[in-house]
Amino acid sequence: MIIAKNVCKSYNGTQVLKDVSLEIADGEFAVILGASGSGKSTLLSVLSGLEKADSGSICCNGTQLETLDDDGLTAFRKREVGFIFQQYYLLPHLNVDNNVKLGASLAGNKAYRQIIEAVGLKDKLKSSPAALSGGEQQRVCIARALAKNPNVLYLDEPTGALDEATGREVLDYILKLQHEKGFTMIMVTHNVNIADTAETVIKMNSGKITEIYKNSARKNAYEIGW
Amino acid sequence: MVVSIKDGLKLIGVTIICFCAVYVCTFMLNYYIDVKPLGADITDERLSALYSAQIAMAKFTSIITGSVLGVIAAVMLVFYVKLYIDGRARQLGIIKAMGYSRIKIALGFWVFGLSVFIGCALGFAAGWASMDMIYGSMTIDGVGVISPSFHAWLMFALVFAPAAVFTALACGYACFALRRPVMQLIRGASKVRISQSGKDEKSEKDRKFLTEMSLKTLGSKKLLVFFVAFSCFCFSAMVQMGLSMEDLTSDTMGYMILAIGLILAAVTTVMSVTSLINSNAKNIALMKAFGYTKTQRTLSVFGGFIPFAFVGFAVGTGYQYGLLKIMVNVVFADVAEVPDYNFNVPVFFITLAAFVVCYAAAAAAYSVVLNSFSVKKIMTEN
Ligand SMILES: Nc1ncnc2c1ncn2[C@@H]1O[C@H](COP(=O)(O)OP(=O)(O)OP(=O)(O)O)[C@@H](O)[C@H]1O
Ligand SMILES: [Mg+2]
Repeated sequence: MIIAKNVCKSYNGTQVLKDVSLEIADGEFAVILGASGSGKSTLLSVLSGLEKADSGSICCNGTQLETLDDDGLTAFRKREVGFIFQQYYLLPHLNVDNNVKLGASLAGNKAYRQIIEAVGLKDKLKSSPAALSGGEQQRVCIARALAKNPNVLYLDEPTGALDEATGREVLDYILKLQHEKGFTMIMVTHNVNIADTAETVIKMNSGKITEIYKNSARKNAYEIGW
Repeated sequence: MVVSIKDGLKLIGVTIICFCAVYVCTFMLNYYIDVKPLGADITDERLSALYSAQIAMAKFTSIITGSVLGVIAAVMLVFYVKLYIDGRARQLGIIKAMGYSRIKIALGFWVFGLSVFIGCALGFAAGWASMDMIYGSMTIDGVGVISPSFHAWLMFALVFAPAAVFTALACGYACFALRRPVMQLIRGASKVRISQSGKDEKSEKDRKFLTEMSLKTLGSKKLLVFFVAFSCFCFSAMVQMGLSMEDLTSDTMGYMILAIGLILAAVTTVMSVTSLINSNAKNIALMKAFGYTKTQRTLSVFGGFIPFAFVGFAVGTGYQYGLLKIMVNVVFADVAEVPDYNFNVPVFFITLAAFVVCYAAAAAAYSVVLNSFSVKKIMTEN
């Protein structure tokens, strides 16, 4: 359960998040939708404990984030959070296997190879990230985040840098894995169509939440427009 | 997983400095320990004075060399750790974002201690290799020939203890530097403040762009200013000391100091210039693309350091004069044979000329490297 109340965040005096409040239930898949610069990434990094909010409260599975210092936030992320960045951010000097292991060893997960298999990269184990396509790199990121068995998975435009075919494929992997494992998932996107795959849609504009609605019927990655 | 052994071994500067420090300390302290007990048996007054001076010099030299070089090695090690963290801020940020605690990440920096261990171990071995020669040159006629004996605790104090302390320093500093918030590490937010007040901007506009560039380079690399000045300090102090010591002690000693000075100066210069060039590659490539001349580009990187180089040289001159004066007037005060020491003017000018020639040559050589960067390659690199 994630509950944010009146969260505010400024950079150099410019307010980027203005009184943001939301609630996301366990196992729910929520999409944050909004134009470029509306504060989506900032909200995601504040919710996931990558950054501290200036004011307001955030409670994630019983932990009050505003009470934690930097080391406390790190311990929180270790316990609860998986994060997938828009720009992949793999470690260039580690091969696929070790990149995923980096996540797995945090949770003492010995069976992480299954996840690499699940994202379809079994035969790329020894490849270096530089030798992978964008879609493959993003799938390694997904495997890396999932290998630490997170309770909440945060995704910042996971398909933003991919073409349509690869984007659909990656999205399909994500949706299937969430369905299988049942973790909570919050995804940022500016692609309106992707919102149709989610249970809950949170719309943002200029740092404020303008609308929250539930989808009555969800679509899969191949049914939506792109 | 964070820092590879290969990265740890790249700290050749630290290795060389540790080598020099331990090399000198090994034979000096070993001599001190072996010769000290003989003092009680010396009755002759003249011999006794020479003996005390010899002992004091051994102690003095090892304390000065050990502490000065130790501090420099420590600063350099911290500098390397900082450079490493800045250079890989994004990767370290991602690891931290995943939930690795900064202590756990920092422990990975233990490999940087390897460079210290290797330097100290080689220095100790080299110290022992030249032990007989040193003992021979420091024999006091009439006291009898002493042969070096091995002291295990000295090996511990000069090899294992420094390695442990420096490893702890590398990890501790890394832990400190990794306090930066995750997003700052990932985005690579530079810590150089861009002035935003209108007043500053106006005065900045009046300065020439090139002056501006070299000032910015200086401002962002304060530690490099220190290293450049230190390099010149070593050159100046140890070359002058080495050359003017002939009358005071054996030639071997003078040449050794000269060689150590040159090694230290070269190591610090190479280290600082390399990191200076790496961090300015983009600016230089951009200036090249805009059509700035080679000289302008070189000056924009190196220009700001020139005054500090001369400051280092001046301080080095003063330091060696003071040190030799103290040696002669305090340590060797009771020994009749030691001549009075005065400032050696010819040596000063020879050293100054050599200094200017060497550093100008180095700058010219590095200017070739600096200007050989391909604009396109640098700009497409991430
Ligand atoms: N570290 C920072 N320092 C200063 N300003 C920032 C910082 N991060 C974000 N901002 C500003 O905050 C605003 C919101 O940024 P954010 O990255 O959250 O937007 P976004 O909705 O994710 O946009 P996009 O879809 O383009 O990724 C932007 O105007 C941006 O300039
Ligand atoms: Mg964003």
